Amino acid sequence: MTAPTTTPALAVAGLNKRFGGLPAARDVSLSVMPGERRLIIGPNGAGKTTLFNLITGDLTPDAGSVKLFGRELVKLPTQQRVHLGLARTYQILTLFPKETLCHNVVLALLGLDPVRWNIWTLLSGKRHLHDAAREALARVGLSASADRTVAETSYGERRRLEMAMALAQQPKLLLLDEPLAGLSQEERQQVRELLAKVPRDVTIVMIEHDMDSALAFAERITLLHYGEVIVEGTRAEVVADPRTREVYLGE
Amino acid sequence: MTRSLPALLVIAAALIAVPLLVTNEFYLNLASQILIYALLAVSLNLLVGYGGLVSLGHASFLGLTAYAATLFFGWGAGQLGAALGAVAFSTLCGALFGVLALRASGIGFLMITLALGQIVWGIAYRANTLTDGDNGLRYPARPHPFGLDISSAPQFYWFTLAVLVVALFVIWRLTRSPFGAALQGARDQPRRMRMLGHNVWLIQWLAFVLAAFWGSIAGLLYIYYNLFISPHAISLQQSAEVLLMAILGGASTFTGPIVGAVIITLVKNVVSSYVDRWNSLLGAIFVIVILFMPYGIVPGVRQLWSRARGQGKLPERAA
Repeated sequence: MTAPTTTPALAVAGLNKRFGGLPAARDVSLSVMPGERRLIIGPNGAGKTTLFNLITGDLTPDAGSVKLFGRELVKLPTQQRVHLGLARTYQILTLFPKETLCHNVVLALLGLDPVRWNIWTLLSGKRHLHDAAREALARVGLSASADRTVAETSYGERRRLEMAMALAQQPKLLLLDEPLAGLSQEERQQVRELLAKVPRDVTIVMIEHDMDSALAFAERITLLHYGEVIVEGTRAEVVADPRTREVYLGE
Repeated sequence: MTRSLPALLVIAAALIAVPLLVTNEFYLNLASQILIYALLAVSLNLLVGYGGLVSLGHASFLGLTAYAATLFFGWGAGQLGAALGAVAFSTLCGALFGVLALRASGIGFLMITLALGQIVWGIAYRANTLTDGDNGLRYPARPHPFGLDISSAPQFYWFTLAVLVVALFVIWRLTRSPFGAALQGARDQPRRMRMLGHNVWLIQWLAFVLAAFWGSIAGLLYIYYNLFISPHAISLQQSAEVLLMAILGGASTFTGPIVGAVIITLVKNVVSSYVDRWNSLLGAIFVIVILFMPYGIVPGVRQLWSRARGQGKLPERAA
């Protein structure tokens, strides 16, 4: 839409979603370029997570379009969108608590591997999956915990596991829903460093409340309020815009 | 299972030796029945334990196969043709039932499987020209698979044991396969599984079809054993008993349904000749087990065992 020469990694146009009388997305349009780091901010209930759910297919929009590298997603079921290169982490952790961290990542890898339909071969013998899972865990600094169950790990470790599962899928577009929420200062630093290391062939859209970390990370920012895009621009533009202060300080 | 190879060999040797030790034909036939119901319960547990899909219509696959085999044989399909045709027909019904039942989850799924099971029972009961209603149908004679004579009680026991061992091995591989992992993942976090690229519906439907297939194999053994099928074998009570086997033994384990099949078949056949109210006794056993071992007998005994060795650990779900 904005740049005719390159197809945006994510192009959302005229997206609408109402929950009964409550509009959760009102004519949301935004376009994220390949390799970009985009931050989505907005007060509670602004429709940030709803926007993610509309992009992933957990929710169906009333109207509008969602394109991933030019490919329309709206009619596709979630799992097919994932096969096109979409990955996300959840704000509310949805892991497999009784399984090991390694097995959690293996399930993520299986999602894109045709071997998932095999009913005869033993999963434990699938070296390439286990090696890739351990490598993904190493990238987020969880090598030592790979064989512990999720139930035995700390909140910070689970957040990083979420990240490992998403990154292991080598997505083209990664949606991060408050990856820093509930983490200690030290853990925040770890996650920030981890995000900085994600290669540029992965486009990242992130929802975050921790403005210090998030502002440093993002190149462009979209401010949502009551399901509407209020301001969009570079970091400096959005911070300087009086409407940003109005939304945040006027509360 | 691989680590306990010596124990497995001892159990296998004991099972093979049963006809040599048990000369009473009644008890030997009972052992064959236990094997058949063990297969039916293990096949159901693919759905209940590994898929988290509680079905109350699983006995219909036993019945569909038994009726189809009898009818196909009567129409001149021959032993092999009747067997293959019946299993294929019953599994296809499973594919259709799966599409219908997986429109819902949880209680809805349970109610649809119950309704489908009742429809199958109703057809068997009412379609007199086809099924002879309450009188049931007779299967003329046991086949000679691979030229083997399985007409006597010991021979039939060994044949059934061989089929069961092959079936259990194949199903056990499934539970440890990538597909098995995906099935258990879909049970625990369906939404997350979709977001990881898994087709949850297709996973659960395939599990339903595979459970129907192995239930059909049990149905084939059933008709060869009884040489008779009537609506009684596919009543709601039968479906409930198979589900009870899985839950009583421990749906979270591979071996639980087998233990459940042993106990329930024994109570039903042996205790019922001494106690009139064997159903009440079964109920009492169930209540007591669930009271002290809420996850079933196998996980409960495992827990006691590890506690006795000084390491109390919570039982895990199917792994």
